[in-house]
Amino acid sequence: MKNKIITISFVFVIELFFILGLVIKDESISKTERRKLESFPKLTINKIMDGSFMDDFEDYTLDQFPYRDTFRSIKANVNYYILNMLDNNKIYLNNDGIFKLEYPTNTESIDKFINKINGIIDTLNEDNKVYSLVIPDKNYYVEDELFLKIDYDLLYSKIEKLNTIPIDIRDIMNINDYYKTDTHWRQENLDKVVKRLSEKINLPYTKINYKYNTYSKFYGVYYGQAALNGTPDTITYLTNDIINECTVEYLENPNLNTVYNPSKLTGMDSYDVFLDGASSFITINNPNNKENRELVVFRDSFGSSLIPLLIPYYSKITVIDIRYITSNYYLEKVKFTNQDILFLYSTLLVNNSSSLKD
Amino acid sequence: MLFSSITFLFYFLPILLIVYFVVPKKFKNLVLFIFSLFFYFYGEPKYGFLLLISCIINYIMGSLIEKHRKYAKVFLIITLVYNIGQLLYFKYLDFFIENVNNIFNTNIKFMYIVMPIGISFFTFQTISYVIDVYNKKVEASKSFLNFATYVCLFPQLVAGPIVRYETISKELKNRKSNYDTFALGVKRFAIGLFKKVLIANLVGELCASLSVLTNQSVMSYVFQAVGFTLQIYFDFSGYSDMAIGLGLFFGFHFLENFNYPLVASSITDFWRRWHISLSSFFRDYVYIPLGGNRVSLLKWIRNIFVVWFLTGFWHGASWNFILWGLYFAVILVLEKKLYGKLLNKTKVFKYIYTIVLVVISFVIFNCETIGDIKIFLSSMFGFSNLPLVNSETLYYIRSYLVLLIIAIIASTPLLKVIGNKLKKLEFLEPVIYIGIIILITAYLIDSSFNPFLYFRF
Repeated sequence: MKNKIITISFVFVIELFFILGLVIKDESISKTERRKLESFPKLTINKIMDGSFMDDFEDYTLDQFPYRDTFRSIKANVNYYILNMLDNNKIYLNNDGIFKLEYPTNTESIDKFINKINGIIDTLNEDNKVYSLVIPDKNYYVEDELFLKIDYDLLYSKIEKLNTIPIDIRDIMNINDYYKTDTHWRQENLDKVVKRLSEKINLPYTKINYKYNTYSKFYGVYYGQAALNGTPDTITYLTNDIINECTVEYLENPNLNTVYNPSKLTGMDSYDVFLDGASSFITINNPNNKENRELVVFRDSFGSSLIPLLIPYYSKITVIDIRYITSNYYLEKVKFTNQDILFLYSTLLVNNSSSLKD
Repeated sequence: MLFSSITFLFYFLPILLIVYFVVPKKFKNLVLFIFSLFFYFYGEPKYGFLLLISCIINYIMGSLIEKHRKYAKVFLIITLVYNIGQLLYFKYLDFFIENVNNIFNTNIKFMYIVMPIGISFFTFQTISYVIDVYNKKVEASKSFLNFATYVCLFPQLVAGPIVRYETISKELKNRKSNYDTFALGVKRFAIGLFKKVLIANLVGELCASLSVLTNQSVMSYVFQAVGFTLQIYFDFSGYSDMAIGLGLFFGFHFLENFNYPLVASSITDFWRRWHISLSSFFRDYVYIPLGGNRVSLLKWIRNIFVVWFLTGFWHGASWNFILWGLYFAVILVLEKKLYGKLLNKTKVFKYIYTIVLVVISFVIFNCETIGDIKIFLSSMFGFSNLPLVNSETLYYIRSYLVLLIIAIIASTPLLKVIGNKLKKLEFLEPVIYIGIIILITAYLIDSSFNPFLYFRF
């Protein structure tokens, strides 16, 4: 009887998933991994004979397996709670937060970053005032010494070679300034960063009143990767009349002309509410500032949430992401004279700088 | 196609099982043959013909050997030349060219031959068949289909065990499959999957992480060596378990290939327990024909070295494999003639002695050059000025500690003993084995985890 049950249940399980695989419609994207899923590969004689069809089919079956995310979750739970592993696919948990192991220190990448930024600075005019702010990623604030971290002291000492006025915020930030399920920092906690910046850049810092707009159930980038049931974050974005009255131009999204794009809150990545997410070139004009002071920010995604808070101090801010555009483009668009130039990058990018374009 | 793949588990196997159990008995071998060819073709589209030619030639020659006893030796030699020649050409030619170039300072161009999957296994199976027919140990197969099904039988086609024709010749003609054999097959198959996917692959991840540490330590080398030993054991024995389990689905009973080799009490004992189908092949077809141990001491030592040279060389066309084989030859000679009896009198030391030598052997097995072996062993034994341990090593040891403990326990007969004592809980078996299948599926699917963006946007 027992053997009959084993036999029947085994055959049932493999036949069931075989049939489900045929019947269930293929998904085109994975929301949890934020990537395109493989579709059924093209069938040609050449692809069969060189074996590439079989490889592609293997990828396809893995990507389109029924209840894929549930299976990923089973694996994650076993890894964390039964095998007691410290990380699963480099994602680890600490004090309610989800983190991604960033290790080891990539000195080659740090040097490349420094060379790249100094190369840009060489093309600027002497009347530009150039600053750099390297934002510590949230692993920096993990107190548990068990988890591997990059050598932050080495990284920060190396970036002293940047031909910029450095702005260090490591002492004013803490772990609560970052989302629990995401890599980024919380805009509502960044006033202290604005203050530190204004001291260094010599901005007339004042405490500005904002309206706090919130959106619950922000599933950060690590939430899906962790594949565990956890509590999502709440995302807050700050608005006031100055921000609302700005005119904004996005290279990739000409239809948008506001600092925030709330329609993105319900999309794949709610953090894209800030400056429309992935945007290579943005100009923000602030009609309420008559000082004619301009800022050019070279940035990664951390900049998206900080830059809106700098708007009150400038009449124009130009935002450049050199992961997506080359110097040919921005040198043609921006006349570098007498602006504040800020290089605003996270340690994650500094340690993985291969994406920066020439 | 790997057994531990979604394609096999949820496409190939469900279709095969339906077709196999629906068709009448007389077509069952044909179904197995066709599916086995497809299985091979799927992984090796270009060399499917080679497998078929091998079947045809060995089938014909087997029949000729049996029918024309007068010329049997000639037919045997022709078949051996073909089989061994095929193996030499596809597996070793570039290795020979490389060494000829090195020794004679010549510049012969490499052939860049891609080795067909499973050639080492199916060639040895056909060799064992023709020799056994020649020695009248088995009757030549009357049916080409039965013979071709034997050679191509997908459970053992690409990674063994080396199943001899005599083991399954009767079952090729007539076999029973019922709930009992099938359930036994499910259990072995699930255990094999567990060993491969949950233990070998994860221990492999540990070894890979340790091998690329920025700062190495003595312990990082020790854990790599131990890890690699566990990985190769669970990988290979897991694959054998899956093969044995799949054979049982269709009523075939293959012989065991592993018997807890990591708890062996000597290297001699280790080789009675490790890859049994290979060591018994060399014993029966090389060592004994050379005279075995019923010869003078010098000839016996020669026999041992020939067998272990070949065993090492069979594993791959590289000097480290030859060195690996000869390493065992030296130890086996020493155990037999010098300290074997003394060793056997110890209670605990013999196990420590064996496992340490086995772990060192797999360092040799795993390193590509003699220089790498030297570096690895000197680092592992603390002769390289490395710290004993560092934070990186500790992270990975801590992270994989439970897995390593499970792996070590699972490499001993302990679980089997406990299982036998818990007969009352047998009713839980269906849940356990189906649970394993689900768990394995989860691990396989997550292997494609590939978050698109490190940085967002």
